[in-house]
Amino acid sequence: MMLIAGTVPIKDMPLTYGKVSSVGDYLFVGGQRIPCTQGTGAMVSAALATTAYLKLEPPQVLLAGDIGQGKGSREIYEYLIENVAELAPQVLALHYWLPDMAQTRRLCAAIEKCARRPVLIADAASMYSAKAAGLAPFFDVFTPDAAEMAFLADPDATHPAYVRFMIYNDMEHMPELIKAAYQHKNAARLIVVKGAVDYVVKDGEIVATVTEPDVPMMEPIGGTGDTITGIISAFVSAGLEPHEAAVIAARANRMAGKMAEVTPATRVSRVIARFPEVFKKYLCEWSGVCTTGGVE
Amino acid sequence: MAFLKRKKESFEGGGLVLFDAVQPAMKAEKVLKQADYKVRLVAPPPELRKGCDLAVEINLVEQPGIERLLKQSAVAYVEIRPLKGSDAGILEIVRVTDFGDWVMVKAANMKLTYEKESGKIVNTSGGGCPDIPVMHAELLDKRVDEAPRPRDIGYTLCSLMLDRALEECQSLWKGGKGA
Repeated sequence: MMLIAGTVPIKDMPLTYGKVSSVGDYLFVGGQRIPCTQGTGAMVSAALATTAYLKLEPPQVLLAGDIGQGKGSREIYEYLIENVAELAPQVLALHYWLPDMAQTRRLCAAIEKCARRPVLIADAASMYSAKAAGLAPFFDVFTPDAAEMAFLADPDATHPAYVRFMIYNDMEHMPELIKAAYQHKNAARLIVVKGAVDYVVKDGEIVATVTEPDVPMMEPIGGTGDTITGIISAFVSAGLEPHEAAVIAARANRMAGKMAEVTPATRVSRVIARFPEVFKKYLCEWSGVCTTGGVE
Repeated sequence: MAFLKRKKESFEGGGLVLFDAVQPAMKAEKVLKQADYKVRLVAPPPELRKGCDLAVEINLVEQPGIERLLKQSAVAYVEIRPLKGSDAGILEIVRVTDFGDWVMVKAANMKLTYEKESGKIVNTSGGGCPDIPVMHAELLDKRVDEAPRPRDIGYTLCSLMLDRALEECQSLWKGGKGA
């Protein structure tokens, strides 16, 4: 079972756990309606589009409303810490929340007690709190963009806003930033750097780069990084190795952007709507996954 | 005799509010706790001391919301600094990308894009704090000079970086109705 946890921008939405479905540009879970926009909504939508194509169970989600004051985030931390062993997810993907180092530490301790350790994926602020707490190597997958990669490379920064100028200014030299992040033990086992060149890095070694199709106008579109994390989570839960899932996700995301003929004004839901078509046309060729219902 | 042990709540904030006197430090702790912020009074390390032996440790990510609340509550503080890498200030640098009809401004991990012709914000991206999807919804389709400032309605460092990007967009828009 894949479990995605994160906050959504709905004030006072209570902690909600359940199987997610979608209609149009909205997600539905436990009687709540969540817009498919930048953030956890886009990530869940991409994961759901992928599992639907593969004819797999839809993701389980743990969501709470939070507009930045941290209440929903705290509810998610507490619920996961108390219940992760019993929920026993195969993949646990963490996304938007208020970074809290102490709570992240407690969560990792709880995960360590699971009978079977989930594949642990972190993006957005869950990645910030993992790095800030010095727990990055405990994670299996991080999915930073270039600025977030500079944050991982800076040994002291606890948020990308506090990255040292010299490191931030080095974003064009991505292999150096990657090396620094692993040197300082601020990297997950696998890192997928999302950018003009997508880097797939395993244990410090760049194992793949994805550059085609080149769709630079995707960068301004809020949520087009979240979708990569959602697709990776879904393919890992289907049985692919994280680095294989990462390459497919990077390619699929770019191809969906191309098919949607995006401009900087495009909404992410238009990109997500293209995923089934992308998988139908290219998944077999890219990955050898030519049937649905899981990966052999 | 058995003693009941109260579980101590753990806290690692990563940021310090520095003061030049004890009284405002104590007032700040009270005000912030009342607003449900996790904080604690600590002794600042010698290199960060600003004339007072007390500081308030905060979750650094919540800096903008905390600064706003302290100002509203008339609590005088000297500055807010990260505990680690204490010589590092907030990133001031912005980067501008011209997409033809649109301009994207990047500030740290946040990006804001507007249409040159109309000045309308067409997208925000990046970040990972809970207020960012809220900002996304608040800013879309508004003109850069009419949009609410993320520093006024957001709570986290991500929203502060988005504010930096918006500020630069406003300046570009004013300067030449484009880049």
